[in-house]
Amino acid sequence: MLNQIPEGVVWAILFLPFGSFAVISLAALLGLTRTGSWEARFSGYLTMAAIAASFLLSLWALDSVLQEDGARIGYDAHEWVTVGSLRFDIGVTVDGLTAIMLIVVTSVSLLVQFYSQGYMRGDPGYNRYYAFMSLFTGSMLGLVLASNILQLFVFWELVGLCSYLLIGFWFYRDSARRAATKAFVVTRIGDLGFLSAILLIWTKTDQLDIGQIQHLAATGMIGSSVITWFALGLFAGAAGKSAQFPLHVWLPDAMEGPTPVSALIHAATMVVAGVYLVARFFPVFIVSEEAINAVVVVGAITAIMAASLAIVATDIKRVMAYSTISQLGYMMMALGVGAIGAAIFHLFTHAFFKALLFLGAGSVNHATGTFDMRKMGGLARFMPVTFLTTTVAGLALVGVFPLAGFWSKDEILIEAWAEKPLIFWTALAGVFLTAVYVGRMLFLTFGGEYKGGEASDHGAQANSRPAEPHESPWVMLLPLVVLATLATTVGFVNITGGMNDILEGWLPEETHELVAAGDFVLWISVVSVAVGLAGLGLAWAIYSRKAIRAEEVSAALEPVQVLLDRKYYLDDLYETVIVKGVIMRGAAAALHAWDRYVIDGVVNGLASLMRFSSEKYRLAQSGQAQLYGAAIFIGVIVIVASVLQDELLGIVGL
Amino acid sequence: MAIELEHYLILGALLFSIGLYMALAKRNFVGVLMGIEMMFNAVNLTFIAFSRFPRFADMTDAERLSGHVFVIFVITVAAAEAAVALALAMLVYRNRETIDVDRMDLLKW
Amino acid sequence: MDSVNRFGPELILLAMAAVIILADIGWALAGTGAERMRRPALGALALTGTAASIIWSALLIAFDEQGEAFSGMIRVDDFALFFNFLFAGTAAIVILASIDFLRRNRFVAEYYALILASTAGMMLLASTIDLIAIFVALELTGISLYILVAFMKDGRSSEAGLKYLLLGAISSAVALYGMAYLFGITGSTSLDEIGLVVSEANGETRSALVLAMVFLIAGFGFKMAIVPFQMWVPDVYEGAPTPVTAFLSVGSKAAGFAVVMRIFLTALGDGSISSDWATVFAILAAISMSLGNITALVQGNIKRMLGYSSIAQAGTFLIGLAVVAAADPQLLLGTSAVLFFLGTYAFTNLGAFIAVIAISSKIGSDQIADYAGVAKRSPLLALGLTICLLSLTGIPPTAGFIAKVYVFNAAVQADLVWLAIVGVLNSVVAAYYYLRVVLNMYTAEPASEESIQPGYYLGLAMVVAVVGLLVIGIFPSPLLEASEAAARVFG
Repeated sequence: MLNQIPEGVVWAILFLPFGSFAVISLAALLGLTRTGSWEARFSGYLTMAAIAASFLLSLWALDSVLQEDGARIGYDAHEWVTVGSLRFDIGVTVDGLTAIMLIVVTSVSLLVQFYSQGYMRGDPGYNRYYAFMSLFTGSMLGLVLASNILQLFVFWELVGLCSYLLIGFWFYRDSARRAATKAFVVTRIGDLGFLSAILLIWTKTDQLDIGQIQHLAATGMIGSSVITWFALGLFAGAAGKSAQFPLHVWLPDAMEGPTPVSALIHAATMVVAGVYLVARFFPVFIVSEEAINAVVVVGAITAIMAASLAIVATDIKRVMAYSTISQLGYMMMALGVGAIGAAIFHLFTHAFFKALLFLGAGSVNHATGTFDMRKMGGLARFMPVTFLTTTVAGLALVGVFPLAGFWSKDEILIEAWAEKPLIFWTALAGVFLTAVYVGRMLFLTFGGEYKGGEASDHGAQANSRPAEPHESPWVMLLPLVVLATLATTVGFVNITGGMNDILEGWLPEETHELVAAGDFVLWISVVSVAVGLAGLGLAWAIYSRKAIRAEEVSAALEPVQVLLDRKYYLDDLYETVIVKGVIMRGAAAALHAWDRYVIDGVVNGLASLMRFSSEKYRLAQSGQAQLYGAAIFIGVIVIVASVLQDELLGIVGL
Repeated sequence: MAIELEHYLILGALLFSIGLYMALAKRNFVGVLMGIEMMFNAVNLTFIAFSRFPRFADMTDAERLSGHVFVIFVITVAAAEAAVALALAMLVYRNRETIDVDRMDLLKW
Repeated sequence: MDSVNRFGPELILLAMAAVIILADIGWALAGTGAERMRRPALGALALTGTAASIIWSALLIAFDEQGEAFSGMIRVDDFALFFNFLFAGTAAIVILASIDFLRRNRFVAEYYALILASTAGMMLLASTIDLIAIFVALELTGISLYILVAFMKDGRSSEAGLKYLLLGAISSAVALYGMAYLFGITGSTSLDEIGLVVSEANGETRSALVLAMVFLIAGFGFKMAIVPFQMWVPDVYEGAPTPVTAFLSVGSKAAGFAVVMRIFLTALGDGSISSDWATVFAILAAISMSLGNITALVQGNIKRMLGYSSIAQAGTFLIGLAVVAAADPQLLLGTSAVLFFLGTYAFTNLGAFIAVIAISSKIGSDQIADYAGVAKRSPLLALGLTICLLSLTGIPPTAGFIAKVYVFNAAVQADLVWLAIVGVLNSVVAAYYYLRVVLNMYTAEPASEESIQPGYYLGLAMVVAVVGLLVIGIFPSPLLEASEAAARVFG
C-alpha cells in the first residue's frame, strides 16, 4: 500500500503523453527524425515510455482509490480564467470510475503502441503516427480525469480531432478521407447536444464542477425538466461518440485508419468516451425516468441492430466495427437498467478482447494483405499464434465460460433480469447473434483453404504480396499473447463483486438505492452460455460446411462420382439453409438500406440543401458594384420601415 | 410663405436621392462620381439648414457653427476622395479601356 | 501638451509615414548604389513606427495619462488604448507579411506610408468622440485603403479598388447624412452632448432619430461588413493584394466595430433607442452569420471563401452588440465579448491570410483545389493554416473557442437564446468548409513535390499569429481582463 496519490502525480499521468507528443512534434519540426534512420524509431520508444509511466502512475491511483473504497479523492480546482462574475476552473479528480478507466486506457494503449512498432515499420508517416497516438492517449486521459464539465468537453473535442487525424491517416486514399470527414461531422451533431447541455446546466445552476452537478441532481436541487434535458443533451453527445443508433453510421467507415488505431479507438479511447460520459453523470441520469429510459431503449436497439449487420459484412474489420457498436449498446443498456458496475466492468473486459480482435485482424492483414474474409481462409495453419489468440478473444466476446466476456456479460444479463425482463430477452437475443457472427468470422478466416489474399498498399510490404501467408513478427505477437492472457483472466477480478464496489463507491449517498443490484443466478449463466454455443454451432453449420464445398469446386480437377453425388445431396440440404440465409440477409439488407438511405439521406439532404442555396445566393453576387449599392439602399429602407412600422402605420391611418 | 427648416430638409432629401440614383444607375464612372458628390452636397445643405434653424434657443454660437465647420471638412474630404477616384478611373481605363461600371465584373460569385 | 501627448500613438504613425516618403526620395537622389538596401530599410522604418506607437500607448497607461485631448475631440481611455494596441499590432504583422510580397513592386514607400496612415485613421476612429473628427478619421482610413486595394494596378486589383471606392463613398455619404440628422436633432456634434439630449428626448423626434440611427448603421455596416452592406466584401477581398485583404478583414472591420460601439453606446445608449438598434443588430447578426456561411460553402477561391467567412464572423461579433441593450448588466458582458472576439479574430484571420500569401505566391493560384497536398510540400505552413482554420471553426484549445463560448454565453444570459442557437448551428456549417481546406491540404495528392518555403519575415509573422492564438486559447485571462477594462468605459 502506497501513500495517497498527490495531485501533481495525477497531473503527470495526463501530461506524460502530451509531453511525448510535444517532443516528437518538435523533433520532427527540427528535421531530426528522418524516416528509416535510427532516430526515427525514437518516437515510438518515447511514446511507449511515456504511456508506460502513465500506466504505472495509474496503478498508484488505483491503489489510492482502493483504500478509499472507490470514493472520490478530491483536489482543489485551480482558477483558470475569471470573466467578471464568471469563473472557470480546471482540476483533476480521481475516484473508482476514473481509476478503472485510467487502467484501461493506459494498458490497452501501451500494448497497441508496442504492436504498432511492427505494424507501422517503414511507413513514411511513422513519426506523425506516434505523435498523434500520444496526443490521442493524452486527450483520453484528460477526458477521464477532468473535474469539470467544460474541461471534459475540451478533451472530448480533442479526442474527436485526434481520431479524425488518425482515421484519415492514409490520406491519399479517397475512402480514408471520406471516412474521416464522416466521423467528424456525425460526432459533431452529437456534440451539439453536449454543448447545449453544458450551456443549460451552467445557466440554470451556475455550476460546471462535475461533483457539484452530481450532488445537486442527487439531492433534487435542480428542476426535473432541466435534469431531463441536460441528461438527454449529454446522451446525444455520448451517442455520437459511442456510435449509438442513429448516430452509429460513422464507425463502420472509420475502419480506414491503420488497424492499431482502430484497436485503440474501439477498445479504450474514442468510442468508450460516450459510455464513460453517461457513467460519469450516472447520478444525473438515474434521477430522470425519461433520460434513463432513452438510454436503455437506444442501447437495446443499437445492440440488436449492429449485431445483425455484423453477420452479413464481409470485411473483417467491419464485422468488428459492428460488433463494437453492438457491445457499446450492451454497456448503454446496462447503464440504462441502473447497473453502472456491470456496464463499466463490461467496458473493462471488452477493452481487452476487442483490442485483441483488432490486433489479430491486423496480423491477418499483415499476412494476407486484405481484410476481405472471402479472400482468406485456412490461416489457422499458417498463423497458429494469431489463430489461437483471436479465437480466445472471439470466445470471450461470445461470453463462453470462463473467459472475461462471460463474467461481465453475465452480470449485465442478471441485472437486466432483475430490473427489466424485456431488456433481458433482448440482450439474450444479442448473445445469439454475437455468437453467429463471431463463429462466421473465425470459420471464414481461419478455417478451410487459403484463398489468396491481396497485394498490400502500405508499409514496407507495399505491393509485395507474400507468396504464402506467414506468422507476424514477435513484436506484433507479444501484445496478442499478453492480451489473450488478459482476456482470459480479467473476468475474475470481479468474481467477488469487488470491482462493483469501487465503481459505485463514488456515487452520492442519495442515489445508492437506485443502483441495480442483482445476485448471481445460475440458470441465467447456463442459458447464456448455451445460447452462445448454439450460435457458434449455427455458424459452423453454415459457414464451415460451405467452405468445404467451395474447396471442392476449386479442386474440380479430380472429380469423384461419389463426392458429386454427395454434393448434389448436400445442395439439397443447403437449399433450406440458403433460403434461410437469404431471408436473414434480406432483413439485414433492409437494415442496411435504412442506414444508408434514410439516416445518411437526411444528413446528405440537409447538406445538399445548403449547397443548393449557396449556389443560388452566390449568383446574386454578380460583380455589379451598383447592384451592391442598391442592396445597401434597400437594406436601409427595410430596416427603417421595420423599426418605424408603428409610426408608418399611424401615418396611413391604420 | 416663409421658407422653413422643413423645406431645406426636403430639398436635401431630394438631392440626396437624385445623387444616390445617379450613383447607382449611371454607367459611366465619372457620372457615378458626380452622383456621389451630389449626395455629399445634399448632406452639406442639411447641415447648413440645421445650423441656420437651431433646434434649441439656447444654443451657443460655437455650437451652431459646428455645423458650418462640419461642412468645410466634408468639402475638403470629398475633394480628396474625388482625386483618388479619378486616379482610379485612369488606372481602370488603362487596364480595360473602358470606365463603364457595369462592365467591371471580373470579380463575381 | 497633454493633447499632443495623448495623440502620440497616432501622431508617430503619421510622422513615420512622412519620414518613409522622404527617405524614399532621399534614396532616389542617392542613386542606384544604395538600391539594394531600400526595401528592407523602408520596411524596418514602418515596423519601427508601429513599435513606437505601441510603446507610446503602453507609456500612456504606465503614466496614467488617459484623458481627453484637443478640447473634447479625442478621448484616450482604456477602450481607445485597447484598439491602439490592436491596430498597431495588426499593422505590424501586415507589414511583416508584405515585405516579401512587395519584392517586385516599385512603390514600396507609398505602400507603407498608406498602411501607417490608415492605421492612424483606425486608431482615431476608436478614440474620437466628436462627429466631425469621426468623419475625418473614417475617410482617412477609407481613402488610404482604396489606394491600397488597387495597389497591384492590374485588372482585378484596380477593379476591386474601384468597387471599394464606389461603395465606400456611398456608405460615407449615408453615414454622413445620419450624422447631419443627429446634429439637427440634438444641436451638437459631441457624442456626450448628443447622449444627454437623446436621453431627455420625447416622442416627437423619435422618427428622425431612428432614421439617423439606421443611416449610421448602414454607413458603418459597410466597414463592419454585415448583411446587407457586405456585398463588396468577396469581390474586394479577392481582387486586393493579399496582405491588404488581411488588413481589411481585421483592421478595417475592427475599426467599424470600434466606432459603432463608441457612437451607439455613448450617443444612442439611452434605453428608448438602444432597444431598437439592439433588435436590428440581433436580426442582422443572424442573417449575416447564415448568409456568410452558406455562401462560403461553394467557394473555390480561398480569398473569397475567407471573405464570406469574415461576413459570418462579423455576424458573430454583432451578437455581442445585440446583447448590450437587453439589460443594463449585460452592457459589460456584451461589449467585452465583442472586444475579446476582435482580439482573437485579429490573430486568427491574420494567420490564415499570411498562410494564403505564402502558399498562393508559390503555387500561383488562390484556388482551394490547388491547395491539394500542401501538407506534403510545407508541413509547417499547412499546420499553421490548419490551426487558424480550427480557431475560426471554434475548436478548443484555440482562441476561437473561448471567443465563441464567451459570445454565446452573453447571448444566453441576455435571453437571446434563439440567437445563440443560430450561432451554434452556423458553427456546424462553417466547420464544413473550413475543414474542406484542411482535408484538401492533407489528403489530396500534390501537383508537384517541390517544397514551399515561406520567406523569413512571412514565417515570423505566421509564428506570431499562430502562437498568439494558441496562447490566448490556453491562457485567455490577460486579454479577457483587457477587454473588460476597455468595456468598462461605457459602464
